[in-house]
Amino acid sequence: MSKSRIQIVLLCEDKQQLVFARHFLEKRGFDKRKIIPLIPSVVQSGEQFVRESYLSEVKKYRQKCNHLAIALIVMTDADNLSVQQRLNQLSSVLQENKLPDRQKEEAIALFIPKRNIETWIGYLKGEKVNEEDKKTYNKLLKESDCKPYSENLAERCQRQEKFEDSPDSLNIACQEFQRLLPLLK
Amino acid sequence: MLKRLYVDNFRCLVDFELNFDSINLFLGDNGAGKSTIFDVLGKLQLLITSGDAVEDIFKQSDLTRWQSNEKQTFELEILGNNGIYKYQLELITEIGTNHFENDISSEKLWFNEDPLLDVDMEKLKIYSDDGRISYSSRYNFSQSIIRFLKSDDNQKIIWFRERVSRLALLKISPNAIVSESLDTSQFLDKKMENFVSWYRYIFADNQNKLAQLTESLQEILDGFVSFKLEKIGQKAVILKLIFKIEESNQNIEYTFEELSDGQKILVVLYSLFYGLESQDYTLCIDEPENFLALPEIQPWLFQLYDLCSEGKLQALLISHHPQLIDYLLSSPIGYWFERQAHSSVKVKPINSELQKCNESGLSMSELIARRWLSE
Repeated sequence: MSKSRIQIVLLCEDKQQLVFARHFLEKRGFDKRKIIPLIPSVVQSGEQFVRESYLSEVKKYRQKCNHLAIALIVMTDADNLSVQQRLNQLSSVLQENKLPDRQKEEAIALFIPKRNIETWIGYLKGEKVNEEDKKTYNKLLKESDCKPYSENLAERCQRQEKFEDSPDSLNIACQEFQRLLPLLK
Repeated sequence: MLKRLYVDNFRCLVDFELNFDSINLFLGDNGAGKSTIFDVLGKLQLLITSGDAVEDIFKQSDLTRWQSNEKQTFELEILGNNGIYKYQLELITEIGTNHFENDISSEKLWFNEDPLLDVDMEKLKIYSDDGRISYSSRYNFSQSIIRFLKSDDNQKIIWFRERVSRLALLKISPNAIVSESLDTSQFLDKKMENFVSWYRYIFADNQNKLAQLTESLQEILDGFVSFKLEKIGQKAVILKLIFKIEESNQNIEYTFEELSDGQKILVVLYSLFYGLESQDYTLCIDEPENFLALPEIQPWLFQLYDLCSEGKLQALLISHHPQLIDYLLSSPIGYWFERQAHSSVKVKPINSELQKCNESGLSMSELIARRWLSE
C-alpha cells in the first residue's frame, strides 16, 4: 500500500489521544513522517491548549490549503459537555475572531470522544461502556497499549462496519472521518 | 531495564538518587550535572565489564571537590532476568600531597534481595545460582571480581555483567566516524568512531534487520538504495552507501565519510533502532538531535517513543531542543537538573504538579528558555 503524501497537523489534548490517532492514521496509509503532532506538555492544561491552538491552526490551514496537501485533525475530549456543545465551543473560538466556521470542503476534522478517549478504548477492548456515565474509564498502563484497538478501529472503519452498542461520540467520529477521506485524496 | 542509580561523592553528585522509566529526558542548564549521569554509568560499566583497575577509571578529579569525604558510593538497580538486581560499590580513597590511591572497599550484588556477591576489605563471598557459598581471602583491591567470573554456577552474576555492557552511552560525533573497519565490534565507542565495525557485527549476518533499516532510510535519504560493505584489504572493509541518480537512472556509491554530518547522523540513529531493538539495551544519548534537520526530529521521536513504550528499548536522553522537549514532555518522563556553583545537583521530576505554577500556559521549552521553571 503506497503511503499518502498529505501532511497532517494533529492537534490533541494529550499523548494518549495522539498515540491513538497516529496509529489509526498510519493503519489507514498515512505517512508518519508527514504527521505534525501538536500536544501540550505535562505542565499545560490539555483542553485549554487545544482551544487556543485551534484558532491559530485553522488560520495556518487556510493560508496553505490552496497550494499544499494538508489537513488539520483535532482531537479533544467532550468531558462533561455533549459532542455538539464541544463543537459549538470550538466554532465560537472562530466566530469571536471573525473567522468563518469550518466548511464542508475544508480538510479540518474534529474528533471528540465523550467523556474522553478512555471511553472509546474501553469499548474497543470489548468493555460495556456508557459515555453518559460520570465515571472515567481506566487509563491504559502505557499509552502505546492502545495500538491494537486503534488499528482495529481503522480496519473496521475502512470496511464501514456497523458498530454495535458503540458510544455515540465514536459513531460521530467515524462519520467525520468518512467526510474527511475524499478531501485527503 | 535500568531502574535506579544512587551516587555519593562523585563530582557534583552528592547523596544523589534517580529512578528511571522506559524513556527519560534530562533537562537543565549547562553544568547542571546531566552528562555526569552518563559519565558515572560509563565508569561503572568499565569497572564491571573490562577488568581495568579502579585507579585507571575513577580519578582524583572524580571526587566531590568541596568536601573531604574519602568514601565514594554507587548503587545500580537493574530489572531483568525475571527479577531485580541491586549492585553496590564503595571506593575508599587516599590522597597525599603527590599521590592518589583508591581501592574497592566493598562490592555487593543481590538478585531479588538474595546475595550473589559480597566483597569487603578482608574476604570475598560468591554465591552460586543454587545458593552455595564460596569463601576466599581478598588480595585484589583494584578490580571488580564480576569481570572474572566464568563458571556455569554464576549465571545470575554473568547476566548482570552482560546487561551492564548493554548500556550504550553515546555522544555522537559524525566527524569521528570512519568508513573503514578492520574487525567487527559488539559495542559502540562513545563518539561512535567504530560505527562501521559495529554495523558489521549487527547487520552483516542479519538480513532481516538490514532490510528494515534500508527500507526506513530509503524513505529518509533522497535516492538511497542500499548499503555495501566492500573489501579493501586482507581484513579491512569499507562501508559505502549506494544512491540512485534520478535523471540518468544510474547508481553512485559514496563512502560513509563522504556523507554530510546530517546524513551520517540519520544513518547512525536509525541503525541504533534496528540494531538494538529487542536486545534489552539502554540507549543513553547526549543531544541526539544535533546535526538533524528540523523535519527529521519528529519522525525519529515517534519511532523512539514506540520502541520504548513497547519495551523494546530503554532511552536516557539529554537535550536542549524545544521540539524534542515539548513532544517528549507531553508525558511525565522528564527530570529538571539544577545546581548552584560548588554545590550538589538537585533533581525534580517534571509532572502535572507543575501545571499549578504555570498560569501562563507556556510550553515546557518556553518555560525553560525564560528561566521560569524554577520560579
